[in-house]
Amino acid sequence: MSVNVLFFGVIAARLGEHKRAVAISEGMTLSDLLVTVGCNDFKPLVLAVNQTQVKDLNRKLSSGDEVAIMPPFSGG
Amino acid sequence: MKQASVRIQAKDFSVQDEVDAVRAGSKRVGGIATFLGCARDFSDGQDVDSISFEQYAGMALTAMQALQKEALATFDIIDLRIVHRITTVQAGDQIVLIVVGAEHRGPAFDACRWVIDTLKQRVPIWKKETTPKGESWVTEHP
Repeated sequence: MSVNVLFFGVIAARLGEHKRAVAISEGMTLSDLLVTVGCNDFKPLVLAVNQTQVKDLNRKLSSGDEVAIMPPFSGG
Repeated sequence: MKQASVRIQAKDFSVQDEVDAVRAGSKRVGGIATFLGCARDFSDGQDVDSISFEQYAGMALTAMQALQKEALATFDIIDLRIVHRITTVQAGDQIVLIVVGAEHRGPAFDACRWVIDTLKQRVPIWKKETTPKGESWVTEHP
């Protein structure tokens, strides 16, 4: 089981990557994923699962999910 | 060719074409408000040579379409067009355009202001400024 993690903006720049496939275990949450990919210290963060914004860090992940880890938006 | 009313594109856009599209859509339009965002050559105390934009493809357009839908349902307006460029722009270049058509000016101005303010909060787009000292991601949306 794995999820596809996307990084954007300053987060991608700091990590030196824009995406990563991450193996997950049963019951793994967004909060767990942030630790796994080394983003738990980045604040503030905006998170999305399958292109829908999610605020609940206890949201459980499913295999194949696309998880976006994003800094606050700055378009316009 | 008729262009979509909500678009993300690299190429520049014509303000007049977008205004004309709103005028052509309904003869009931009595007022059109526009917001045009352009690239500044100075930001946060530094000269800015260029600005590069990044989007979360798919989610960004969906979020802009949702903004259009919400604005049309919330304000007493007739039409709304939103265009945002994703590319590298130079100082003075056009970045984003909001065009609102309504029967009267009040709702047009109100909706236009709401759309650009909310776009900055809800649409996953980021800007990176290139200055003489290097590149820096913009983390605020003033």
